[in-house]
Amino acid sequence: MRFVEVIKKILLIEIIKGLWLTLRMLFSKPVTIQYPLERRKVHDGFRGKHALVRDPINGNDKCIGCMRCTTVCPSRCIHIKRAKTENKMVVTDYIIDASRCIYCAYCVEACPVCALVLTEDYEYSFYKRENLIFNKDQLLKNWDEFVKKWQKDYYFNKFWQPPGIDPSRWPKTKREQGPIPLKRGLEIERERVDESNSR
Amino acid sequence: MNPENTRELLINMGPQHPATHGVLRLVLEIEGEVIKKCIPYIGYLHRGVEKLSEDLTYVQSLPLTDRLDYLSSMINNVGFCIAVEKLMGISVPERAKFIRTMMSEMARICSHLVWIATHALDVGAMTVFLYAMRDREKLLELFEMVTGARLTVSYPRVGGVRCDVNQEFLDELYKFVNEFPKKVEEYETLIDRNRVWLRRTKGVGVITAEEAINWGLTGPTLRGSGVYYDIRKFFPYDAYDKVEFEVPLGKNGDIYDRYKCRMLEFRQSAKIIKQCIELLPEGAILADDALRIRMPSSPLKIDKKDIQFEIYIEDKSIEDFINKFTEVYASIEAPKGELGFYIVCDDSAKPYRMRVRAPSFVHAGVLPRLCEGALIADVIANIGSIDIVLGECDR
Repeated sequence: MRFVEVIKKILLIEIIKGLWLTLRMLFSKPVTIQYPLERRKVHDGFRGKHALVRDPINGNDKCIGCMRCTTVCPSRCIHIKRAKTENKMVVTDYIIDASRCIYCAYCVEACPVCALVLTEDYEYSFYKRENLIFNKDQLLKNWDEFVKKWQKDYYFNKFWQPPGIDPSRWPKTKREQGPIPLKRGLEIERERVDESNSR
Repeated sequence: MNPENTRELLINMGPQHPATHGVLRLVLEIEGEVIKKCIPYIGYLHRGVEKLSEDLTYVQSLPLTDRLDYLSSMINNVGFCIAVEKLMGISVPERAKFIRTMMSEMARICSHLVWIATHALDVGAMTVFLYAMRDREKLLELFEMVTGARLTVSYPRVGGVRCDVNQEFLDELYKFVNEFPKKVEEYETLIDRNRVWLRRTKGVGVITAEEAINWGLTGPTLRGSGVYYDIRKFFPYDAYDKVEFEVPLGKNGDIYDRYKCRMLEFRQSAKIIKQCIELLPEGAILADDALRIRMPSSPLKIDKKDIQFEIYIEDKSIEDFINKFTEVYASIEAPKGELGFYIVCDDSAKPYRMRVRAPSFVHAGVLPRLCEGALIADVIANIGSIDIVLGECDR
């Protein structure tokens, strides 16, 4: 037994075994990707860049200014400015400080009208901090940029209606929220409406 | 130089030292190569999580716990949720329990993979680092699939979990778990019998079972000394009483035994995940009386006072559970050791006090005991073997 051990030690058996493993790996498929040239697939529901959903019908944001997102936000990075005009509450500005955001998506879940979304877009960096403070226009612009990249005709965020949760926990508007038609999807919707009208 | 003129030298190791696993600063008093005294200084990563949570509701405090031990954020979340559930008397549905157990074990594998990667890198084996990161990537992707985030998941919820897992995820995970023991063997091929590794770890940083208990060590660090203590077995939470697994034990209490313990835990974790997938029951994932994320009572009420200081727990009278519990301690088995949450509740929706019993904090305290009398190079090996994360240590 001792003799065998000595031989093993002299012949560097364990080190050769390790080196053999690394040599074998040389011929296996690489797991790395060349990042800027190729990108990994991001799964649906990834919590990335903020955006306000543009309503497919009137082209505006859907926020009703209920302040739920502001209240639920753990890092308090959402600020909503509202004004009262003609006895109606109007959201004048919607600001998200992305440099403070912790990407928990509680705001997305709390929103009763599914107006807010953390999109699957993860590439955004700026040279200035001010650029990370998104106001309403910027948030809508974020949505447009995201829609351009999005391949499918419809978009639906997982956190609007987390799967497996009892729908009775949500307000009615949230329960009835369907996928948002985009580009081609919008055309399909329009055609459908036209067809039903012509009938 | 004549020997009378020699003196002890004070050197700083850290906070920027790459091998101190974060921002740990050690002041070493050395005589030649031998360490006479070692004083750890912590607090460079203090973010005031405990104090911060006093100003946030229970629901809002949850994402903060992600940032404690960022290598296994899922387990921190689970620990916090269990503490709050105990406080409010919420019972979690079966399915949620199994999902949590599964996710916890995934997080344990994640954390241990970073440990083996960095520990081996510190001691001088580069290849293990690359292989471990390769496998961790797969797990992070699985996390992303379900939770939408790779690191700071915020997935468990008080009273259950946030969203359901789908079949695609379970299939992928099952495939991973089946392959994983082979991957662990790969790491072992590289370092287990390697003479450099053995020389660096065997008989270094020895701590006996009695001493380990006295120092308050928990987790694999304690089990390396041969003490049978695992919260998953002793005080089962979630679905740990429904799955079968063994608790690997060491013998000598040196770095090698702690390493061996964790390597065996890899396999046990894989086994638990496999059982969880097989046993996963159907049903709800959130308790009916769970806290709601939605906030003020009426959606369009615009009273500033109301918005800021409204009690956020709906459908549940707070007095009910206040009378039952006022303070609660719940602990779980984190990859690093026993992670406990102590919550004092006054009659508001915010914790009056939250205290985290962080294993890394306790383990950082044992460093002087392990390092004194050893060589400088052993300090690095010791830090690696007790597996501390400074985010959790400083909180």
